Amino acid sequence: MQPFLDAISLGGTYALAALGLGLVFGVMRLVNFAHAELITISAYVIVVTNDLPLIVSFGIAALTAALLAILTELTIYRRLRGTGPAIMLIASFGLSVGLQKSFELIFGALPRSAAVAPWMTGSSEIAGLNITVSSIVTVGLTVAILLAMGFLVEQTNLGLQLRAAATDFKTSRLLGVRSNRLIGSAFAISGILAAFVGFILVVENPQVDPMFGLNITILALVGIVIGGISSLRGAALGGFIVGFILSILNTFLGNARVYAYSYLFLAVVIILLVRPGGLLSKGNEMERV
Amino acid sequence: MNQKLLGLTRFKSEELLGPLATVILLSIGVGAISASLQLAVQFALCNMVMVLALQIFVGNSGVLSFGHGAFAMAGAWISGMSTASERVKGNALALQDLWEPLVGFKLNLYVSIIAGALVGALIAAITGAFLMRLNGLAAGIATFALLGFSYNFFFNNITFGPGSQALPAVPKFSGIYEPLALALLVIVIVYFFNISPTARSLRSSREDLLAAPALGVSIQRVRWIAFTISGALAGISGAMYVHVAGTWQVQDYYLVFTFITLAMLVIGGSASLWGAVVGTLVVTAVGQILLLWEQGKSVLGIQFDLPNGARSLIIAGSLVGILLWRFAGLTGGREFKIPKLTSSKSSRGWGQSSQFCATLIGESCLSQRSNM
Amino acid sequence: MAILDVRDLKSGYGKVDVLFGISFTLEAGESLGIVGPNGAGKSTLLKTIAGEITTKSGEVNLQGASITGNKPEDIVRLGLSLVPEGRQIFSGLTVTENLMLGLTGRRDKSSAKAAVEQVKSLFPVLNTHADYQAGMLSGGQQQQLAIARALVADPKVLLLDEPSLGLAPTVIADVFSKLREITASGTSVVIVEQRAHLVTAFANKTLILRAGKIQASLTPESAKDEEGLRRAYFGANS
Repeated sequence: MQPFLDAISLGGTYALAALGLGLVFGVMRLVNFAHAELITISAYVIVVTNDLPLIVSFGIAALTAALLAILTELTIYRRLRGTGPAIMLIASFGLSVGLQKSFELIFGALPRSAAVAPWMTGSSEIAGLNITVSSIVTVGLTVAILLAMGFLVEQTNLGLQLRAAATDFKTSRLLGVRSNRLIGSAFAISGILAAFVGFILVVENPQVDPMFGLNITILALVGIVIGGISSLRGAALGGFIVGFILSILNTFLGNARVYAYSYLFLAVVIILLVRPGGLLSKGNEMERV
Repeated sequence: MNQKLLGLTRFKSEELLGPLATVILLSIGVGAISASLQLAVQFALCNMVMVLALQIFVGNSGVLSFGHGAFAMAGAWISGMSTASERVKGNALALQDLWEPLVGFKLNLYVSIIAGALVGALIAAITGAFLMRLNGLAAGIATFALLGFSYNFFFNNITFGPGSQALPAVPKFSGIYEPLALALLVIVIVYFFNISPTARSLRSSREDLLAAPALGVSIQRVRWIAFTISGALAGISGAMYVHVAGTWQVQDYYLVFTFITLAMLVIGGSASLWGAVVGTLVVTAVGQILLLWEQGKSVLGIQFDLPNGARSLIIAGSLVGILLWRFAGLTGGREFKIPKLTSSKSSRGWGQSSQFCATLIGESCLSQRSNM
Repeated sequence: MAILDVRDLKSGYGKVDVLFGISFTLEAGESLGIVGPNGAGKSTLLKTIAGEITTKSGEVNLQGASITGNKPEDIVRLGLSLVPEGRQIFSGLTVTENLMLGLTGRRDKSSAKAAVEQVKSLFPVLNTHADYQAGMLSGGQQQQLAIARALVADPKVLLLDEPSLGLAPTVIADVFSKLREITASGTSVVIVEQRAHLVTAFANKTLILRAGKIQASLTPESAKDEEGLRRAYFGANS
C-alpha cells in the first residue's frame, strides 16, 4: 500500500510541476526552464523562514515565486513574444542558468537546510495500515490543488480566456482578451504552483541548493511531451505518469535503483514511439507548434 | 521583396577560407602567449567542434537538441577507454569492476577518435530514428531525456567505466596542432554539408514545415541524416576533449557543457558556419577575460573584482541579452564575407538588422512582430 | 461625424509594404464593401484597422478618437470588432463558451445578458447547438457563431473578412440577410470579399482595392457597369 501511495504522491507532485509549465506554454508557446528556479526559490524561502508559522512561510514563498515569475515575463519573455518557441526556449535556458548562479551568489553554493513541517514526518496507522504522514498529506494536497486548477480552467472566465489563448492567441485578442494581463496571470499561477511543488519537495529533502528544482522540471517537461504538448490535461497527465513510474522504479528496483532514470527514459522512448504526439493526441499528428 | 534565402547554395571560397584562416591565426597566436592560454585554446577548439556539430543540426533544421552531450560523452568514453594505459585500467581503484576485455582494449589515438565519431553517429542514428518523428519542440525536450539517460548510465555504471569517478591517465595531445587540425577538418566537413542538397532540403523544412513535403522533401529523413552526422561530430568533440584534459569524467559533458556550447551557437548565430565559429571565439574570449578578472588579474591594464561564479552569470546574461537584441546572433546567420570597401549597395556584410528571417523552427518572421 | 475615418493608412509585414495610403470614411449605419484581386491588401487593411497589424503611417479614427496603433483588445472595447478570415472560432470550446468569450471585449457588462439574448434570436443556431463543440458546426453555422461572437461586444463598427469563404450560395444569402438586419439596427459594417458581386449590391458603397491602393469607389448602380468594374478591378490593360 505504501509504495502505491508513494507513487501517487510523487505522480501528483510531478503533475503540479507539469501543470505550471503547461500553463505558461499554453499562452505563450514558451518552454520555461526557469520554472525550476521558481521551485528552488520557494524552497529557499521556506527553509530560510522556517521559524515562522508554516502558513506564513509558505505564503511568502508563493508570493516570491509569483513575483519572480512575473518579473521574468516583464523583463525578458515579453520582449521575445513572436520570435518563436525555439528562441524562447533557449532564452529560458539561459535565464535558468543565470538564476541558478544568482542563487549561488545569494545563498551560497552549499545547501541550506531546515526541518520543515516536522509534523509531516513519521507514520501513523490509518485503516489498519501503516503509512507515512507525508505521503497522505501530499496526495491530499495535490488532489486538492489539481481539482482547484481544474475548476479554474473549466469553470471560470479566467480559465476560459486561458484555454482560448492557448488555442489561438491572436483571435483571443481580437475578442478583447487582455494579452498582458492574461500572460501575467498565467505566470503568477505557475509561480504559486511551483511554490507548492517546492514545499512538497523540501519536506522530503530539506537540503536546498541552487539546482534544487532542476531535476523535477526536466522530468516534468518530458512528462508534458508524453502527455501531449498542447493541452493542460495532457501536461498534468504526463507529469503524473512520469512521477508515478519513477516512484515505482525507485521502490522496486532495489540495488539497481540508481538506474531508475535510465529505465524511466526508456519508458518515455517507448511511449513516444507509439504516440509521437503524446498520449492525449489523436495518434499521428505532426503538430505545428 | 528582398528576402534572401539564408544558406549556401554554391561554393564560395571565402566562406570556407575565412573561418579556417581565423581559427588558425587565433589559435596559434593566442596559444603562443602562455601555457595556460594554450590549454584554453585547446579546450576552445573542442568546444568549437561541438558547436559546429550543433550547427549542422540545429542551425539547418531549426530543431533544438540538448542531447548532444550524450554523443560527446560516448565518444569521449570510447576514445579515453581505448587509449588509457593498460596498467592504470587494471589497477585503478575506480576501475576495479571494469569489464575484462576493456582492460586490454587498445586503439591508436587517432583511430580512437574515429571510433568516437562512429559511436556518436551510431547512437545518434538509433535515437534519431524515433526522435525525428516528434514535432520540433517535443524532439528538443526529448533530447534532454537522452542526455539525462546517458548521464545516469555513465554516472552509475562501474562495469564499463569509472562511474562518477575520473578515468585517469588518458594520453594528451602534445600541443595545439592536433586539436587544431581536427577542428579545421570539422570546419571543412560542416561547410560542405551545409552547401549540400540534403542541408538545403533541411533548411526548406525549417522555413516552412508544410511546403517542404510538398516539394518531395522527407523531413524525417533529412533531419535524421543531419542528426547522425552531427552525432559523429559531437563524438569527435568528446574524443578531443578527453585528450586535452587527460582524463574522462562524465560531469564534463553534462549540463554546463551543453549550456556553454548552445550559448556559443546562439550568440554567434545558429544559421551559419561562421556564426558557430564567431560564437565560440567570442564566448571563449569573454570567458577567459572574466576568468582572469575573477582571479584578480588584470587584462590589458583593466581590472575588475569579480566574485566567484559571476562568470557563468554573465555568460548566461549575454545569451539572454543577445536574444533580446539580435536573436539571429552576432553574425545574423551570415557566412564569412570580406566587407567590400566600395559602394554601400553591394556590401551587405555584417551589421544587418535583426529583422532577418534566420529564426529557428521556421517561424516566418514576416508575420511575427505584428503588434504583439 | 463619420464613425470610422481612415486617413492615408500605410502598413505591411516587416520590410514588405502592402498598403500604400488608404483613405475612406464610414457613416453610422452605413455598409461598406471592399473588393479586389488577390494580394490587394484587403485582409491587411482590416487587420490594420483592428490593431492586429502595426500601422506604418496614417491614422484610423473611431468616432473622432484616434485608435491608430492601439492594441486589438483595446480597440474592441472602443467599439470596433473584426470577424477574421476563416472565422477562427475556438473549435475545442463549446458554442456558448465561444460566445461568452466575445463578451470579454464588451464595455458595458450590465447589459451583457440582454445582448446575448438578442444575438441568439438573430442566430437561432446558438440556442439549438449551445453545448456542441464549436468545431462540429457546419461552415455556415461557424460563420454565424463568429459574427455573433463579435456582435456581443456591442460594436459600432463590424469588420468582416471574407464571410462567404467556403460557404454554399444559400448559406451565403442567409448570412448576408442577417448582416442586413445588423446594419438596420445601426451597426456600421465593412465587408471584404473576393467575389465582388456579393457585396456591390449589398453595400451602400464599395471600394475597389488593388495593389494596396483604392482604385475606385462604387455604388450599387455604378457597379452595374461591368466594363468599368473590370477595368478598375484588374487594371486598365486587362
